[in-house]
Amino acid sequence: MKFIKNHLMFILPLMAILLGIEFYLVFDRTTNSYEKGLKEGYSMLVVTKKPMKLSMFQALNRHISSSEKIKRENIVSEIAKGVSKNSNKEILAALPYFYNVRLDSYLSTSGLEKIKTDLEKDKNVKKVETFGSSYSSSYRLFSFIKFTLKLFIVFMGVVSLFLIIKQMEIWKYAHKERMQVMEIFGAPLMLRSGVLFRVAIVDAFLATLLTTAIFLYIKFQWAANSGIDIMMQNKTELFKMTDIAILLVSALFIVIIAVYSVVFSSKGVEE
Amino acid sequence: MSNVINAQHLTLAYDGGAKEIIKDASFTIKKGEFVFITGPSGSGKSTLLKALYGALKPTEGSLVVGGLDLASVGQSKLQELRTHLGIIFQDYKLVNEWSVAKNVVLPLMIAGYSVDVQNTQAQRLLKHVKLSEHADKYPLELSGGEQQRVGVARALSKNPVVILADEPTGNLDDYSSNVIWDLMENACQQLDTTVLVVTHKIPTIFSLPYRHFIIESKGVYEVH
Ligand SMILES: Nc1ncnc2c1ncn2[C@@H]1O[C@H](COP(=O)(O)OP(=O)(O)OP(=O)(O)O)[C@@H](O)[C@H]1O
Ligand SMILES: [Mg+2]
Repeated sequence: MKFIKNHLMFILPLMAILLGIEFYLVFDRTTNSYEKGLKEGYSMLVVTKKPMKLSMFQALNRHISSSEKIKRENIVSEIAKGVSKNSNKEILAALPYFYNVRLDSYLSTSGLEKIKTDLEKDKNVKKVETFGSSYSSSYRLFSFIKFTLKLFIVFMGVVSLFLIIKQMEIWKYAHKERMQVMEIFGAPLMLRSGVLFRVAIVDAFLATLLTTAIFLYIKFQWAANSGIDIMMQNKTELFKMTDIAILLVSALFIVIIAVYSVVFSSKGVEE
Repeated sequence: MSNVINAQHLTLAYDGGAKEIIKDASFTIKKGEFVFITGPSGSGKSTLLKALYGALKPTEGSLVVGGLDLASVGQSKLQELRTHLGIIFQDYKLVNEWSVAKNVVLPLMIAGYSVDVQNTQAQRLLKHVKLSEHADKYPLELSGGEQQRVGVARALSKNPVVILADEPTGNLDDYSSNVIWDLMENACQQLDTTVLVVTHKIPTIFSLPYRHFIIESKGVYEVH
């Protein structure tokens, strides 16, 4: 019973850290595609007097990654139904040119305003519509959620680390006597601390296994049946098999650091 | 014959030098000698042994054991030296979560002997100290005197070059004490082991020549 409790006291905080790491990985992956979607779905509308090429836009601001001319014929045919072919041409000649302009990165509202003023410096440009408000509100909400989650994960990690160190001190106390006797008889460090390393490494594997199980459950049971679109679409992003390696390496790293700290602080038999 | 132990103007102290226990002691002990150390309680007998196995560094002077200057020896050299010592502690220092047999063969385990060798040796040694039937028990299931004999068996298990024994018969009746003295005499006589024994009572029947040191008022004196 005490044995199980001792292990749980070590495995649970370790799992908390691993869950944090995995949540971070998953969040980063799913939101990367979401962020990409936001970015790619976004374009500004630029109205010009004369036709302009992409390079001309890019000369005005380097964040512009593509420009697409909107077919004026479609606009004209919509507004000039039943008008004669000749007047149709006149309307067409009087109309300015419309462009959908896309950006190379996700910019803040002030970044968008900068592009707007840059573009308007050109005499040719009649009007720029950034659609800034709807763009920035989803962007801000997104950034806020991302920041809060990261903060939470870091906080959880720190608390867990303290719990692990606490548990390590209990271990140290439990193993101190044996390690000191072995030291007096000339046992090398690795032999003295062998049991600690074995226990810690077994716990690292267990914690990794449990964390993996939780995420596999989320991936194949919960997410698949959740009815949440973003979850179901990003199912493959939820847990990748390579994550097991990342988690295991992290867990081993943490426990080895923890064991070393115990081993070195119980050095010396001088009372 | 060469000196196994050489102390020159040795001073030992606790609390960072503030609490002097032994001051300016000089003595040498040769290979194969048998030495009894006596002295009043609290005079520093255990402290001297502690210094001899390198757990208390000299505050002043030099202490050379097996050719190593313990004032300046590095961790790995000290580790090596300790594998050649057979130490018996006043408070036994057994590992309570290990069986008696496992405790006895700790030095063999550290030296990397196979489990087979360890098992045979454990049986042989426990027979010597009359504890064969307790091999699979744990130290806390034994009496004080029995635990003490486990400590003796452990110290002898790898035929050490030097035995450092702190009151090895402190908890034993005359019969058991004589068993222990016989074992030590044999080691000294047959394997040329150097033996230092702290005791409050030098055995009346003792067949080997021996030296006798007294520790008193911070000094180490030899009785002739
Ligand atoms: N770790 C320590 N820190 C400070 N003082 C200590 C320490 N260990 C022992 N002493 C002190 O050093 C003195 C000598 O102790 P030591 O254990 O060497 O005596 P001893 O001769 O072995 O006595 P006994 O016959 O009772 O075993 C004592 O006064 C003791 O209080
Ligand atoms: Mg003592």
